[in-house]
Parts: sequence; structure tokens; C-alpha cells
Amino acid sequence: MTVEYASFLGCQIPLRLPSIEIASKKVFSKLGLKTVDLMGYSCCPEPVVSRLLDRTAWLATSARNLAIAEELNLNLMTLCNGCYETLVETNEILRNEPEELEKVNAILGQFGKQYNGGVEVKHVVEVLYEDVGIKKIKDSIVKPQEMRVALHYGCHMYRELNGRDIMRKPNMMKELARVTGVEIIDYGLERLCCGYPSMQADEEFSLTQRLLPKLRNIEGSGAEAVLLSCPACTLQFEMGQVRLRPYGCQYKFPCINIMEILALSFGFSPKELHLEMHRSPVMQFAQRMERS
Amino acid sequence: MIISEKDITEYLKQNLAEKLIEIDVPRERRIFARIRHSALRRAVELLKMRYDMLRFITLSVVDHGLDFEYLYHFHINGIVLTLRSLTPKETNTLESIADIIPAASFIEREAADLFGIKLINHPEPKALILTEDWPDDQRPLRKPLKGDLPPQARPIAEAFISKSCVAPISTFIQRRRETIGLPRSPPMAFTDEKALREFHGIMKATSFSEKAGFDWKKKQLRYK
Repeated sequence: MTVEYASFLGCQIPLRLPSIEIASKKVFSKLGLKTVDLMGYSCCPEPVVSRLLDRTAWLATSARNLAIAEELNLNLMTLCNGCYETLVETNEILRNEPEELEKVNAILGQFGKQYNGGVEVKHVVEVLYEDVGIKKIKDSIVKPQEMRVALHYGCHMYRELNGRDIMRKPNMMKELARVTGVEIIDYGLERLCCGYPSMQADEEFSLTQRLLPKLRNIEGSGAEAVLLSCPACTLQFEMGQVRLRPYGCQYKFPCINIMEILALSFGFSPKELHLEMHRSPVMQFAQRMERS
Repeated sequence: MIISEKDITEYLKQNLAEKLIEIDVPRERRIFARIRHSALRRAVELLKMRYDMLRFITLSVVDHGLDFEYLYHFHINGIVLTLRSLTPKETNTLESIADIIPAASFIEREAADLFGIKLINHPEPKALILTEDWPDDQRPLRKPLKGDLPPQARPIAEAFISKSCVAPISTFIQRRRETIGLPRSPPMAFTDEKALREFHGIMKATSFSEKAGFDWKKKQLRYK
């Protein structure tokens, strides 16, 4: 396989959920997908605070990351939904609004950088589904994961360019999950936000009006674990279950990332993947599944 | 001498040079000049030297949360000119112009009372409308030192501006990364001096750090 990407790890995966970084590298290696880490990158930048505070800074910071990939002559693959949205959206603006590109390049130019709009940004789910293909992934599966999971796609996963089907990437993720052998349980609130962005404004609202209804439905659906693709949502589910305890709610769902479930199904052990780095009982759950 | 908006703007441009940040004539007989706070007295001296008919109208003070904005309003032959300057609230001092323009004395004292500002070189730096023993932390028009970011967003903005990364970078997590076979840090800008300099350059060039209320010397937000 000759496809090569610059891998954009973002902030949360390497510093809070490094087991996803490990799983991703193992999955890419197993599938023969060549990736290089983007050197000297910064936060994408995160799509809530930075964009609201200063649009030009948001664009310029993102353009710097895109420019680093452009210097390598590589397209960019993100592992995080938030990074995906920021980088896709800013890329579209910079490609279609020459005056914005000029303004941003005037800033980047002060540091010897320039962005020419030559980078494609893809979510890892798109790369696996479109570039690698379900067949190749299926052929790599040696240990089907027989567990019942509730999928949480994450809001940014629905972001599409105008006119495109917003279910395009969620359906890809569903297909990727299904191929690992998991049973996908519908719980009716897949589209509801996990509450991560609203944690910055109102913690109680975020926990009780966003996360809690999801957890209640997931529990009622009979799912054993939550399967996610976004590290921010993963943190919200994991930390949120703890923060909901003062509200009298006791949830302990393991929150597994799509890359981790792929790695497990490729035969990597929970220990190799360091699933103990999670703040929910992913390791215990994966080991139990391994034994059964 | 015929005094026009153009005459005043050109005069200030020539004499204040880079100390004049922006000058705007939004309509006939109205001028707003945004100047560096350090140039305020110089600007007043320049105006007094050139325009005999210069008349002081009043001073307005605006508490923006992180900064005080001082607006000195003047009347020059039918034209109203406002000199605007901004200064961090931590500085908390205003160099008086009352020795140049005695009419500014009372309003500066009133502003000092209501906002808790310390006057420098004022000819009569006494309380005007509050009692002399009025507590410094209970000034009627002074807001708490606070920027636009809500409390939960502050650590994110602080980490983002200082380290290029919104997740906390602790020695603990770096050690854990090493123990699980990953490099100590991801290849982010904070690990590379040149890359971090570029990133900080963007933060400064776009005024992002200024809007967030970031103190570059202390490498933290000016408010908690």
C-alpha cells in the first residue's frame, strides 16, 4: 500500500488517552498504512474557545498545521473528531476565501511559513473505510469481539460539506465496528451530544441534560460498553460517569475507542494496548472478553 | 488659523508618530484618537501648545474587566476630540494632566474615588466624593479583574497559549508515556523551540493572547 498520511494526534489522545495512540499505530502497521507524525504541530486549535475569541487566530493556527503537512506533501489524517472539524472547516475557508488566505499567509509569512490550500483532511474512519477498505480490514481480523456496544459517533463526525450526507462518516464507523464482530445496540439517543463542549459553560447542564440521558438509554438497551471515535467524548463519558456519582448515578460503562476495538480484533492483547490508561474499566472488560 | 479635523489629525500623526495607534473621524467635527497610555500627557501638551482655544470637556473611565480605558474629551473650535488610552488594571495608576489642564483636577479625583485608581502627580490627590477612609476593595464602579473567558475555559486557553496544547502536560503523564513505550512527549510545538516561537508569534500577531488576557511574562492568564 502506497497511501501515506501525516497523522494528526491532537492534544487529548497523546496526553490523556495514549492507549488510542498505541492502538492506532498497531492498526496502521497491521494494515500497511504508512503514516508519519506531524512534527511541531499545535492544537488544531480546539473548536470552541479559540474560534469564539478570535477567528483569525483560529484560522492562522490551523493553517500553520496544514502548512506543515503541505511541506511534507502529505494529506492529513486526524484521530480526533474535534481536530477533524477544525481542520476541515478552516481548510475549506482558506481554499475558498482568497482574502482570508492572504490575511493568514501574511501572519504565517512572518515565520517563514505559507499555506497554499494543497492538503486534504480526512478522519481516520474515512481513511480506513475509503483508502484501506472493509475487505482488507476484515481479512486482518483474527479475534472477533463478541460484545454488545452502544455507538457514540460524536457531533463533529456528522460535519459534512454542504450537500453531502451527514450520516456518511457515522455509517462508515458503524461498518468498521460491525466488521470487528461487535453487536451494535441502538439506544435511540445516538445523535445527542455527550455534553463535552457545554462542560465549559455549565457542568450540571452538561452532565444531567446531555450525558445522563444517554447513559440511561444505553443501560436500558442492554449494551455492555460504549464505542467512540472522539477522545473528547471519551473523556466526557469516562469522567462524567464519575462526576455523576454525587447525583446518585452509578454508571461504569467501559468506553472503548474504535481504534482500540480494531486493534483487539486484530489480535493485540489488552495489555499490549495499555488499556489501563483509560478512566473507565476498559482493561477489565477487554480481559474478561478475552477469556470468554 | 483655520482649524479642521484634518489639521488636528495630521498634527497628532506627525507629533505622536508610533504612539498614535489609530485616529478616526467618524463624522464632521468628531475625532477619536487611540494613543498609547504612556503618550497621554504628551498628547495633551501638544494640543495645548498648538490650540489656544483648547477646552477640556471631561474624562470618562471605562472598566473593561482587565483594563481601564481613559477617554479625555476636548473641544477645539467646534470639533470634539477624544483621546482614548488603555492600561492594564494591575497597573492601577493614572498620571494626572491637572498640572497642564487644571480643569481636569476634579474629574480625575472623582474617577480615582469611584474606580480606586491611584493618581500620579496630581496637585491635590485627595478623595472628592467618597470619604478618605473608603475601603480600597469596595470602589463603587470597579469591576473584579476578569476577562471574557468563563472559568471552565480559562485553563484551556492558558494551556493553549502558553504550550500550544489544551491538554495538561504533566511529568506524570510524560513518565507514563515512556513506561508504555511511547516517546516522552508527542511531537507538538511545545517540544521544539522554533515551532513554539512560531506558535507564540501567531498568538501575538493576531492579538489572541491579548483578548484572552494572557500575561507573557508570567506565562499565565491575568485572572483565575
